[in-house]
Amino acid sequence: MQNKFRGVMQSPVTPLKDDFSLDLPTFERLLDFHVRTGAPAISWPHHKAESLNLTLAERKLFAEAAVKTVNGRVPVTIHVSALAVEDTFALARHAQDIGADGILAITPYFWNPAREAIYDYFVRLATSIDLPVISYNSPSYLAGVEITGELMARLIERLPNFVGVKEASFNSEKFLEISRAALKLRPDFAMLTGVEYLLPSVPLGGVGSYSAAGSICPNLCNATFEACMAGDWERARDLQYKLSWLWLLFRDQYPSSLKGGMVMMGRNVGPTRPPLPTATKERQAYVRGQLEELGILDSEPYGW
Amino acid sequence: MTAFRLGLVHAPAMPFTREHRIDFDLLGRVIDFHRRHGAEALAVPLHVAESVSLTESEKQAVVEFAVERAKVPIVAHVSEAGSARAAALAQHAERAGAAAIIATTPYYWTPPPAMLLEHFALIGGAVKIPLFVHNAPDDMAGARVTAELMVKLIGRLETFAGLIDTSLDWQFMIELMTLAKKARPEFQLLAGNELMVSAAAIGATGMVSSLAAVAPRLVRALYDSCHAGKLFEARAAQERMASLRHAMKPGGAPQLKAAMRALGRDCGDPRPPLMPVDAADAKTLSRALDTLLADEPRGW
Repeated sequence: MQNKFRGVMQSPVTPLKDDFSLDLPTFERLLDFHVRTGAPAISWPHHKAESLNLTLAERKLFAEAAVKTVNGRVPVTIHVSALAVEDTFALARHAQDIGADGILAITPYFWNPAREAIYDYFVRLATSIDLPVISYNSPSYLAGVEITGELMARLIERLPNFVGVKEASFNSEKFLEISRAALKLRPDFAMLTGVEYLLPSVPLGGVGSYSAAGSICPNLCNATFEACMAGDWERARDLQYKLSWLWLLFRDQYPSSLKGGMVMMGRNVGPTRPPLPTATKERQAYVRGQLEELGILDSEPYGW
Repeated sequence: MTAFRLGLVHAPAMPFTREHRIDFDLLGRVIDFHRRHGAEALAVPLHVAESVSLTESEKQAVVEFAVERAKVPIVAHVSEAGSARAAALAQHAERAGAAAIIATTPYYWTPPPAMLLEHFALIGGAVKIPLFVHNAPDDMAGARVTAELMVKLIGRLETFAGLIDTSLDWQFMIELMTLAKKARPEFQLLAGNELMVSAAAIGATGMVSSLAAVAPRLVRALYDSCHAGKLFEARAAQERMASLRHAMKPGGAPQLKAAMRALGRDCGDPRPPLMPVDAADAKTLSRALDTLLADEPRGW
């Protein structure tokens, strides 16, 4: 069986009005843009959607809007990670109630939990709902807290709905360790990279990624995935270098520069909530210059 | 100059007598073994050969001996804490007939980028043979090079030929290759250990392997698939290699020597302060190798 979570899946940013309140019509437009430009799945709200700067009520409101707007055209997963684990459980139950197709959850924030605490956390979370669960491994952002291959194997053995991982170590050994452990037990387990590092992951069992740059260059995202899956490494390398260059452009204070770049592509999604800065006009112009140099202004859709 | 390219490079262990002296007879056998089992070049003496525990004159003697014996190009590892000391080793290596040099970030001093740039420029500028920078943050208390720094070094040093990576960091490797290839199209990326598939996808054309002393056929199979661009096919060998690396954790000279002993290629114990693997762990390792390496050579 092929896992439905594959390809470069898009995780929309959160459009905000000038007063930093949620901009629902623009969010609906953005969801529609992603589906029309070939997103194989939608997932919201990742950190790039400023998840931790949104209230619980806001997260639930937009989660409902996402499911409703996408309307079954592609799967929708909800990122439920919150600082307080109890909020995570509430968001997971809510995702199930509104008809989402799955949830995504990172290892707990801040507390540097021990391995057994991580295991217990995912068991509690995944047994509290009937939805597919995608785990999220991000050791460099979480002070080294990570899902090892051994831990992943135990979780897969324990949890029938543990179907994939958003792997954001971007490290050959860590990715391979998880992929070996997981695919042996669950051959259709989805090995997904955190952002579009497809070229180094696909030969090791990767089947896709989430996306940093998809609201700028959906064509490039999809073309890179196709080139990798076809084993056309020369072409994949050219495309991957471009995608990774964009990631480096957006990575610092993510998603401020990404939102700035979207203005330059005719898709204004407003400011970024503090403490993250909003991209200045100068930053937007710099990003535009880089997009021009990469040929993206000519090869990607402008406006909605 | 920059036409010199590294493919499959073996990194031999350093044999010692019971008195902890370099055993040159045995070193000859080690070198012959690597040459017969697929080494296209030898890197001596890397950290896995306990370079940091060798005296200056021993390091020089090892390079001279290897050049004489190997009949394949020798890449001399010249890392030191002091730039001038490393540069002097580089000059010796060049005189001795080494084909290229390797240098890590300087030992001990916590180097800011400007210090790294001067360090590498001094070492590489002391010789005419190519310099390969070894990016090994795990060995060097976290000290690492950046892509931006390597591009500056390309601007400073005509003979800076490439980077050997053991960071395994995709973000770094892709940024490096994006920038370095623009500045110097023939710039080479080498996997610094036996995790080559992702590096090869990114553009690595070589590999530096210490496990070639343990599993030369597997190393060769992995390298050949990667080199031919058969990356999906390379995955099976890469996964077997991951099992071997797992069995040999935490890696380094003690595990390598314990494994070689188990396979009938005893090179003695590591020099203090490194300790040999204890008897119980050596037995566990030996049993694991029996299962993992059924089709690899035993003895010399």
